[in-house]
Amino acid sequence: MKKNTLGIFGLLIAIFVVTAVLNDKFISAYNMQNLIKWSSLYAVMSIGVAFVIITGGIDLSIGSVVGLVAVVLAYMMKVKGINPSAAIITTICMSGLIGLVHGLLITKAKIQPFVVTLCGLLIYRSLSRWLTDNQSLGPVPLEGDKGYTNLEFINQLDFIFSGKIAIGSFNLPTPFLFLLVIGITAALFLNRTIWGRYLFALGNNEDGARYSGINTDNMKIIAYVICSLMAGIAGLLFAFELDSVQPAQTGEFYELYAIAAAVLGGCSLRGGEGSILGVIIAAAVIRLIYNSINMLGISTHLEFGILGIVILLGVVADEFLKSYSAKRAAAKQQEP
Amino acid sequence: MKTPFSVLSAVCLSAVFLFIGCKPKPNGTEPGGSTEDATIAYVTNGVDPFWDLCAAGVRIAEKEFNIKCEVHMPTKGVVDQKRIMEGLLAKGVAGIAVSPVDAENQTPFLNEVAQNSKLITQDADAPDSKRIAYIGTNNYKAGRALGKLVKDALPEGGEVIIFVGRLEQLNARQRRQGVIDELLGKPTQELGSVKFDAVDAKNLTAEGSKYTILDTRTDNFDKAKAKSNAEDAITKYENLKCMVGLFAYNPPACIDAIKEANKAGAIKVCGFDEQDALLQAIKEGHAQGTISQQPWEYGYESVKMLKNILNGTMPEKKFLEVPFLVVTKDNVEEFWKKKKEMAELGKQ
Repeated sequence: MKKNTLGIFGLLIAIFVVTAVLNDKFISAYNMQNLIKWSSLYAVMSIGVAFVIITGGIDLSIGSVVGLVAVVLAYMMKVKGINPSAAIITTICMSGLIGLVHGLLITKAKIQPFVVTLCGLLIYRSLSRWLTDNQSLGPVPLEGDKGYTNLEFINQLDFIFSGKIAIGSFNLPTPFLFLLVIGITAALFLNRTIWGRYLFALGNNEDGARYSGINTDNMKIIAYVICSLMAGIAGLLFAFELDSVQPAQTGEFYELYAIAAAVLGGCSLRGGEGSILGVIIAAAVIRLIYNSINMLGISTHLEFGILGIVILLGVVADEFLKSYSAKRAAAKQQEP
Repeated sequence: MKTPFSVLSAVCLSAVFLFIGCKPKPNGTEPGGSTEDATIAYVTNGVDPFWDLCAAGVRIAEKEFNIKCEVHMPTKGVVDQKRIMEGLLAKGVAGIAVSPVDAENQTPFLNEVAQNSKLITQDADAPDSKRIAYIGTNNYKAGRALGKLVKDALPEGGEVIIFVGRLEQLNARQRRQGVIDELLGKPTQELGSVKFDAVDAKNLTAEGSKYTILDTRTDNFDKAKAKSNAEDAITKYENLKCMVGLFAYNPPACIDAIKEANKAGAIKVCGFDEQDALLQAIKEGHAQGTISQQPWEYGYESVKMLKNILNGTMPEKKFLEVPFLVVTKDNVEEFWKKKKEMAELGKQ
């Protein structure tokens, strides 16, 4: 484990232990299942935005993409009665396409990522509401609902995206498997492939990377496609988990959770730094804080405050550790 | 230096604005005058399926009273609502029915609106403003009715927890207090002067009451948060017997969490409003019941009242109470059918 991941891991353990000591029900299997489930859902989004942040960009449209994908999925299945697998493939392609458009606008039209994705945030949210006349929809049918085709298959999908696999007495939530596959693939891509190195190089020094022959535009586009794809997958997971999609609300502000997790997990907003493991742990820390607040019975009005303070402390401690170890390394070098 | 082209276009634009500005007010009507071509407006406090149900009532009343009514749903809070209402005043609408986002602080602006148009409030009131009247549910009374549902669900008593989007809203606090007072056997309070228990009060109980209200958890309108709050309550409170959801999406979130924890039947759900998932659960016996504000009545009564005002008949009282409906297994089918019709109508 890298040094910067160690810090956030320590934070995770610390909050975990404190909550477990103060409330013994915290470590019950049921609570752990819930914690793993929510952490996985948010971590998938955070991994996506980590790619963009590593290139020095930002994506503010994640929450709206989550919402749009969830809405389009429910709309296609419930209102249009389209085959569920076609609906899933369409929504995944749609999210990839959104990323492609972001990437092209940022690299070819040279518009700032903040502006492109901010407009995206507005456009996709509005599209979701327009498409459904702002009615809540569920991907899984209720009694008496018409329009669904292939009900049995929808129930299977519900299991794939939000089911639980019994391992002894522990029920492992399926979103965790999504996170596992996505996390490992992302980590391999970033650390073991040449494209991963390119992404870091590009984030550290874009001009330098371009002059050394890297097609920086293509790499950036790839990062935005990955980010929106992850948001799309998270959208599917959320839709099935909540069984209800609210066009105006589903996914609202989730980009902030994703960005917070990426930054807390060691991604520098200046680009060029980041680790997938760190991001996953950070996403878990944020969900853990929410869970602890409930378990300890702290007023829900204090949630954002506590979250903000913990993130701030985490980042400050991280910076402090970094500068301390840098100084030690420099001192060591000076020794004869 | 300006080019001749830009000067020319500026002149043309000014001419157009001047022309528009000089046009007589298209929809303004004098008191007591004809309302045949008058336009009124129905302004919500946000975007929600609840408001689509209200819009259905507006559509019905439009036809019945032969008046045109625009429905506006501001997306983002106070600023957006103000922008929309300023636009309506500029257009010269004859009357506005609004659900103010932040009644207290919007009062000066609402007074300005009241000076230039006929203003009534609906859903949420602004009692200090110069609005003519307020149309709404008695949320305290509705809360007490919800408390009665909890009593029906748990005749033996037990531990109850409340979930709500946010407690900053007056209607949420009134509902919550109604539930608490009913369960703890407190005397009925007057709507205008309800005394509230602290928002973070825990383990509320009273002598002679069989019920304990463990806590009130908020989620800021995030449905994922609402569900995880319900899950955490299941973890934390072994003896939890009933979940009360005060905002529309809360009860379905509770029902989901209970099902997934295999506690169906062991933990009851009582709710507010009329989301499909809740109605389904009531039908299947997984939820005790819900309190519906019959949103379409808001829209209908608003249009009716504005029409009367424009015709010169002022409402007798400042508060028109829209009756709420207690929906249980007995009447859920009939109610659900009506809701579906209204949702369909409200979309148009």
